[in-house]
Amino acid sequence: MEGMGAFILRRLALGLLAMFVALSGSFFFFAAKFLPLSETPMLHSYWTWLRGIPSGRSLNDGLLGGHLVSTVGHAFGRTMLLLALTLVIVVVIAIPLGCLAASLRGSVVDYTVRIATYVAWAVPVFVVAILFQQGFGRIPGGWGTGWFPYIGWAGECPNGQGIDPHNFQCPAGGHGLTHVGQVIYHLLLPALALALGFIGLNARYLRNSVVDALDAPFVTVARAKGLPERLVVMRHALRNAFVAFVPAVVSDIGVLFGGALVVDVIFQLRGLGTLFIGLLALDADGNTPVDTYELQLMLLFAAGVMLAASLLGEMLLALFDPRTRLD
Amino acid sequence: MSGLSQTAAAAEIVVERRFVRPSAWRRLTRQPVAMTSGLILVAIFLVGGLGTHFVSHPLVHLTDEWRNHPPTVRSWNLFGTDAIGESILVRTLYGLHTSEITALAATVLATLIAVALGSIAGYRGGWLDVAIMRVTDLLGVFPLIVVFLAVYTYFTPVTAWKATFALTIFLWIPVARVVRAEISSIREREFVQAALSLGATDRRIFLRHLLPTASGTIIIAATSLLAQVFVLEATLDFFRLGVSTATQNTLGNLIGEGQANVFALGQGWWSWGCPAGVLLVILVCTNLVGDGIAEAIRPPRQR
Repeated sequence: MEGMGAFILRRLALGLLAMFVALSGSFFFFAAKFLPLSETPMLHSYWTWLRGIPSGRSLNDGLLGGHLVSTVGHAFGRTMLLLALTLVIVVVIAIPLGCLAASLRGSVVDYTVRIATYVAWAVPVFVVAILFQQGFGRIPGGWGTGWFPYIGWAGECPNGQGIDPHNFQCPAGGHGLTHVGQVIYHLLLPALALALGFIGLNARYLRNSVVDALDAPFVTVARAKGLPERLVVMRHALRNAFVAFVPAVVSDIGVLFGGALVVDVIFQLRGLGTLFIGLLALDADGNTPVDTYELQLMLLFAAGVMLAASLLGEMLLALFDPRTRLD
Repeated sequence: MSGLSQTAAAAEIVVERRFVRPSAWRRLTRQPVAMTSGLILVAIFLVGGLGTHFVSHPLVHLTDEWRNHPPTVRSWNLFGTDAIGESILVRTLYGLHTSEITALAATVLATLIAVALGSIAGYRGGWLDVAIMRVTDLLGVFPLIVVFLAVYTYFTPVTAWKATFALTIFLWIPVARVVRAEISSIREREFVQAALSLGATDRRIFLRHLLPTASGTIIIAATSLLAQVFVLEATLDFFRLGVSTATQNTLGNLIGEGQANVFALGQGWWSWGCPAGVLLVILVCTNLVGDGIAEAIRPPRQR
């Protein structure tokens, strides 16, 4: 682990540099495009923005007023919660599925799982989201099963959807543990929609690496000493397959994040995706001001998640697998 | 013994000169799944490319009876109608036409740029090499969907050709990185070094040795790019920040409009489900063909 710290520091520095360049690029792009700044000299507004970063002024005080950190941070928190629940679902479903398919290699179950994971990975996340929303959401007059609320966060009803006709209030979000339960209940459908593709991807990877491990000599030894097949798969094959699986899931967080924005808009969770698209759509007529500072802060959060995910993925890979060369 | 291995090496050089090796093509034809999905894909692309010449647009049934009508076989109403009585089948056909041309054009253009710049970077190194690597890092800073959501605002109102342009100028980068890595590793192999020491020109080395050898990798990268472009383009159109239904139908904006009208006008599931089904079939087939090609070009060890 000698070179680990230096390696991570170097990657972090390079990542931060790339982030800085990309954010500068996006600043120039937004400043040239959107109204309040498109009328001032670009280098000047860039310098004003840059100068305000150390003190946090450009990060918190919106160009058009308002506290950005609270608005964007609030939305970011929702997106991260969605992401966390999705990761839990991916891991909880993909691992048994992959193991099952691998230990029944060549059977009907294996083929069914392989076809299903294939299709699951191929469907775009927005199609899955609509399908789940209409299939399992409680849409008035819809054809679905109505198991879940179809839009909104716990205690919110966007556009008055799902509003109580008697007292004209949104259904209560509850307090304490009830609230936690309500939040998870409202997030479950979006998280499942987001997870589906990644369950497909990861179950397939896991199946293949467990199959590889099951062919390895140490598994033959484990079988020869009389271990039951269940223990062979769980203790020996799966543990070795994990070496590749965990870092892969972690580095997927970056891709998942992009999907989380999409799902967030469809289920109107008022997370980062809703906020971002809402801001960009403001400019549809070409003369409504758009807060460039707010867009930049959102991009900063997004870039932070991407960088953290990729660094964490590489760190875990290096930790689990001593053969990985750090350079 | 040494004579044998020399003959084998010579044979390998001859084989490597072909663009797609005959053995790889044979392995591809032996995969029924990949071949079937390839045929389906070609059929869909042909229908999308030529089908619009054979229908009268817009095919609107203006009678009340035909509004929001579920799919039936009667009078070619296979995909149903929307709330104003337009045939979803015809709209999907037009959407397929636009989406397919956008995706194919963006993929081909991006691949061409990627091959040109990536192979120069991999073969020569130098500033272009450094530049491509750094630009790849920059593209990885934000999620792709965020990049395109922002870029598309610059092109409003977005049309299919603007979308193609926007997708091309960003998506050649990851392909170029793959091409660069492949070319720089082929460059170190003996047969290229031999050709170099014989005094072959760069052009000859590129056309006779590097490009044919790298062609497999390039084809694999292009196929996965095609699927990615279809998804990205559809997602952007779905959010009304891409091509809008007012300008052109695409698979993405048909799904978006249908989904919105399920809530607004009480349209049936078919108005988004049918275009989504077409998109899904395209994506599954593209992935299957891509995997088939990858397996044919680089056969994995037997499981």
